[in-house]
Amino acid sequence: MSTARKADGDLEKGADPADDSNRVRGVGLDAPRGVRRWVLLPIAVLSGIFFALPLIWIVVSAFRPERDIFRYLSPLDPRVLIPTDWSVASFTALTDGPFPRAVFNSLLVAGVTVVGGLIVCAMAAYALAAIDFPGRQVVFTVVVLGFLVPFDAIAIPLGELFLDWGLRNSYSALILPGIGNGLAVFALRQFFLAIPKELSDAAKVDGAGPMTILFRIYLPLARPALVGAGLLLFVFQWQAYLWPLIVISDANLQVGPVVLAQLQGQAEYGFDPGQIFAGTFILAVIPVVLLLRFQRHFVRSIAASGID
Amino acid sequence: MSDAATTDQPAAFADRRRDQSSRRRLRPLSQRAWAALLLAPAVIAVILFRLVPFMQAAISSFEDPDGGYSLATYEFMFTSPDFLNSLRVTLWFNLLINPFQILVALALAVLLTQKLPAGRLWRTLAYAPTAIPIAVSAIVWRVAYRPDDGPINAVLEAIGLPTQGFLIDQGQVIPSLIVMASWVGVGYWMIFLIAGLNDIPSEYYEAAAIDGAGWWRSFFHITLPLLRRPLAFVLIADTVVNFLTFAPIQILTSGGPNGASDVIMWSTYEQAYRFGDYPLAAAQVVVIMAILLVIVTVQFGMLRTGEKV
Repeated sequence: MSTARKADGDLEKGADPADDSNRVRGVGLDAPRGVRRWVLLPIAVLSGIFFALPLIWIVVSAFRPERDIFRYLSPLDPRVLIPTDWSVASFTALTDGPFPRAVFNSLLVAGVTVVGGLIVCAMAAYALAAIDFPGRQVVFTVVVLGFLVPFDAIAIPLGELFLDWGLRNSYSALILPGIGNGLAVFALRQFFLAIPKELSDAAKVDGAGPMTILFRIYLPLARPALVGAGLLLFVFQWQAYLWPLIVISDANLQVGPVVLAQLQGQAEYGFDPGQIFAGTFILAVIPVVLLLRFQRHFVRSIAASGID
Repeated sequence: MSDAATTDQPAAFADRRRDQSSRRRLRPLSQRAWAALLLAPAVIAVILFRLVPFMQAAISSFEDPDGGYSLATYEFMFTSPDFLNSLRVTLWFNLLINPFQILVALALAVLLTQKLPAGRLWRTLAYAPTAIPIAVSAIVWRVAYRPDDGPINAVLEAIGLPTQGFLIDQGQVIPSLIVMASWVGVGYWMIFLIAGLNDIPSEYYEAAAIDGAGWWRSFFHITLPLLRRPLAFVLIADTVVNFLTFAPIQILTSGGPNGASDVIMWSTYEQAYRFGDYPLAAAQVVVIMAILLVIVTVQFGMLRTGEKV
C-alpha cells in the first residue's frame, strides 16, 4: 500500500498549481487505489472527453474546407473529428469582412483595460492596505461591494446614462466600465497586506512619498498578484457581450463576440459556416492560451478572492 | 504618519524646508489626502458605473407617463402576462441550473483531486471552456444543436435513438441551455472548490482514518463542513451569473419557442431596445436587483446559521 502511494505521489509531482503541497503528502479524501483506477479514472476520462469534444470539433472544422464540415455527420463517421483535408480557406475568407477589425477592437479594449485597470485597482488597493486613515474599513467595503454589483444587471440603465453623456460609440464607452474591478482590488489588497511594513518605513526615512513606495516597492513585489488581477480584467472585457451590444452601433467599433454573433445570424441565409468556426477558433484560442500560460496566477487570484 | 508631522514643524525648520526641491515641498500632503487621491478613481468608478445607473433606473421606474411620480409602471408590469412568464421562466431555470452546476462542480472537484493517472490533463480540459466568451460558445452550440444536420442528432441517430428538437422544442429548450451553460461554467466553479479542498489539512483525514471512518463518512463529516465557505461563495456567485443569463438566449432562442426561454434579462433588453419602453425596462432592472439582493441575503443567512451548528 505504501509503495503504491509513493508511486502515485510521484505521478502528481509537479502537478497543477491548484494543488497544495498537502495533497502530495498522500492522505486526503482519496478513494482506495482499485476504485480510483477502475471506477474513477473512466469517469474522469469521460468528463474530459465531454469538455474536449466541442473544442476538438471547433479546431477541426475551422481548419478544413467548408464542404467537409457537415459531410461526415450522416451517417456518422469518425472523420467528423479527424481532419482529412487541411485548409485555411475559412480564415482567409474571414479576413475580407468586419471580423479582423473586431478582433483588433477586442484586443485594444482589453489591453487598455488591463493597463488602466491595474493602475486604478493597485492605487486603491495600496491606499486600503498601506495607508492609515479614518474610515478605511468603510471605504474598503463600499469599493468592493460596489464593484460586486453585477455589471450586466445595471448595463441597460448605464447605457441610458452613456447616451446622456454623449459617450456612446466610442472606445471609452467600451473601456471605462471595465477599469474598476472589485476582485482585482481585493486580491491586490490581500497581497499588499502581506508586504512587511518595515520596507515602506525604510523608504519613508529616505524621503520617499507614497507614489514612490507604491511603484518602487509594492508593485515590483506584487508581480504574481498583478498578473492574476490583469487576467481578471482581460477576461471581463474579452467576455463582454451585452454592454458592447448596447453602447456600440458603429460597425467599426464593434468587438469580436458581437460581430461573430452577427455573422452567425447571417449564416441562416447562406453564410459560410467555416468562417463561423474560424472566428470561434480565434476568439477562443487567445484567452485559452493566456489562461493556460498564467493558470497558476489566475487560479490563485480567484481562489484568494473567493474564499476570504 | 511622518508626513502628517511635517505640516506642523517648528518655525526653526521652516527655512530649511523652503530650500528643498519642489518635489520635497509636495510632501506635506497628509496621509488622508494621499489615500483620497489614490482611491478617487476607483471610488468614482463605483459611483458612476454601478450605483448611479441603479439609482437612475429606480427613478425612471417611478416616473409617471403623465408627469410626476407613481406606481403605474409597476402596476402594469405585475399584471403583464409576458413579464410574469419571464419571471417564472427565470426562477425555474435557476432552480434547475444552480443545484445542477454546483453538484457537478463539486463532483468534478472531488474526482479531479484524487490521484489519477494524467490527473492534470482532465482538470485542464474541464476548465479550458471557461476561458471562451459565453457568446462564442453559444454560437458553436447553436450549430451542434441543429435539428436537421447537427452533430448531436447525428450521434443519436447513429446509436438508434430518435432525433430531438433541442432549442426548437418547448420542453427541451431549458435543459439544452443548461447543458450548454454548464459546459462553459462548471470548470470555473470547480477551481474554487479544488482550492477549498486543498486547504483542508490532511491531519483531519488521518485522524478520521485512525478512527476507522470510511470514504463517505470522511466526505460528509470532514470535507463538506470544511468546504462550507467556498461552497457558499460558489452558490452565490453562480446564482448571480445564471440569473443574468443573456447572450445564449439572444444568440440561440430569442426567448422562444413560445416564451419557454424568455428569461428576465432578455425580456428587459427587449423592452428597452425593441419596444422602446425604457421605464418598463428600468422597473424590471429594479426587480432583478431586488431579487438578487434577497437571494444573496438568504444564502448568506444560510451560511451563518450553518456555521453556528
